[in-house]
Amino acid sequence: MGDHKLIMGKDIYFWNFVVLMIFTIFEVGAVYIELDLMIVWSILIGVGIVKGYGIAAYFMHLRGDPIIYLRTALFPVLFVLLMLWGIGLSNPGAVTGLPEWCTPNWDYAGKR
Amino acid sequence: MSEHGHGADVENTIWMRAALFGTIFMVIGVLAYGVMGVGVANAKHQAYDDAHHEYDKAKEDLKVAVSNGATQDEIAHLEELEEEAHHHYVEAHLSYLTWRTAGVTILLMCVVYALFIGFGGFMNSIQPSGDHGDDHGHGDEYGHEHHGSSSPIVFALGIMLFLMGFPMFVDAAKAMLMTDAGGSIGDMGLSLLGLIIVAIGVANWWREDLPFIGHGEQIATSHPFEGQHIRKAGLWVFLMSEVMVFATFFSSYLRMRTEWCTYWQVQDGNPNCSAVDTLTASDFLRPNGGQMVLEDGTIIGGQGDFMTLLPGAINTFALIISSYTIVLALKTAKAHHWEAPKGFMGKIMPTQKIAIRNYLIATFILGSLFIVLKLIEWSHLVAEGFDIGTQAGSIFYIATGAHGLHVFIGLLVMLYMIFKADTVGFDEENGQGIEYFGLYWHFVDLAWVAIFPAFYLY
Repeated sequence: MGDHKLIMGKDIYFWNFVVLMIFTIFEVGAVYIELDLMIVWSILIGVGIVKGYGIAAYFMHLRGDPIIYLRTALFPVLFVLLMLWGIGLSNPGAVTGLPEWCTPNWDYAGKR
Repeated sequence: MSEHGHGADVENTIWMRAALFGTIFMVIGVLAYGVMGVGVANAKHQAYDDAHHEYDKAKEDLKVAVSNGATQDEIAHLEELEEEAHHHYVEAHLSYLTWRTAGVTILLMCVVYALFIGFGGFMNSIQPSGDHGDDHGHGDEYGHEHHGSSSPIVFALGIMLFLMGFPMFVDAAKAMLMTDAGGSIGDMGLSLLGLIIVAIGVANWWREDLPFIGHGEQIATSHPFEGQHIRKAGLWVFLMSEVMVFATFFSSYLRMRTEWCTYWQVQDGNPNCSAVDTLTASDFLRPNGGQMVLEDGTIIGGQGDFMTLLPGAINTFALIISSYTIVLALKTAKAHHWEAPKGFMGKIMPTQKIAIRNYLIATFILGSLFIVLKLIEWSHLVAEGFDIGTQAGSIFYIATGAHGLHVFIGLLVMLYMIFKADTVGFDEENGQGIEYFGLYWHFVDLAWVAIFPAFYLY
């Protein structure tokens, strides 16, 4: 901490903060301006990746910390991808077909 | 008390300081409730009643005109007036909800803050002075063995009991709110027991950590974290378990979302979607959102504009700024040769210790703002017909609520960090406490980076 070189007199944390703020303006602006669905979608995903990288790499210090922390951070990625694919994008009826014990007294469970 | 608060002389200072913090929070909470939740909210409620009356009158005028066979122009004019009155009515209602929710939320948050700080301070002050040395669970410079801490296991037991009793807790809470759900207050027992054990675990952790000045930090001695601080490695493993928690929300959301005929699906020409059958939160919040006609003919959604998305947008900026302020707190703590800034900043941050505390306070205020704005936004969504009783509402409130809960838990921990910064103080030796908490706080920000576009914008 604190041993980063300065860019225009400010450290990397400051510039990371500035980039995050600017990209958030892009993100919100893309929704305020009437754009094509795919363009909005692309902007949201692109901005999300940049912001995620900025926070994880610089604020959470994965860039600069020993590699074991990066490995730890990447460990659940496989499981997350499996969940997004296995639950999120397949298995029809996964939501409405929940057994009754999963939804005690919640009569709205099957309702839209 | 010394600058670094060495053990044995902290008891009375801690208790008095905790009582002072608690009193400050109670004053802020009561003032905020009085001004916003009662004063302004009552004035807004009067405006809401007037708008309601105007709207009823406009509807009645239109009805009478139609039954009396008025001309098309007259009816069109009256319909315009009715639409305008309806708009004012909705605006007045939301304005009332904004102030009322803000006042009540700040009061409740301040009560929890005061209880947290009061309970923690009390638990600290009743410890025998021998327990306040450096052998408080982290080892020390005199070569004492590390004693470990019982706090995590106590905390985990409390959480387990709380979650075991949670379904009954919800039923009891619904019964207390006089809904048609069964259940009595006795059903809350298991969860309340869990919460009490959690509180004891937290207070014990506080007692162990507060006097910690950086000596005896445990270092891992085996692969793969060899040479690393055990607390940091443990925190990263914990954060990865949190990734899995949020992945469950996202995978569920994705599964539901692919099944719904949302406005964007219809607009995109999905052959399976002839009409919108599900409104998401973003349809209520963003401009150009989808609309849906209910069975009774009411049209909901599609009213989003700059103002409806504003709370979510402010919250996004608030979390990013708070991520930076906690980095500044850590940077200040770790600085070898800290110099007070010049000008206004120098006045509010005259010493290193005060600067760290004030950066943490700034982070704390931004996090609290996040919670207040989130609840204001929820109150608006519920008033507009987007409640938890639908699939879209259920996943939205559970996912954003779980995130909000993480923010709130983070705020309680931050409150403790502020307390420590104000009493014992952070420096190069024990500044890693801020770093480890910062990792959690950045993770909460990171989760919001995914939640905000997925639930608010898309």
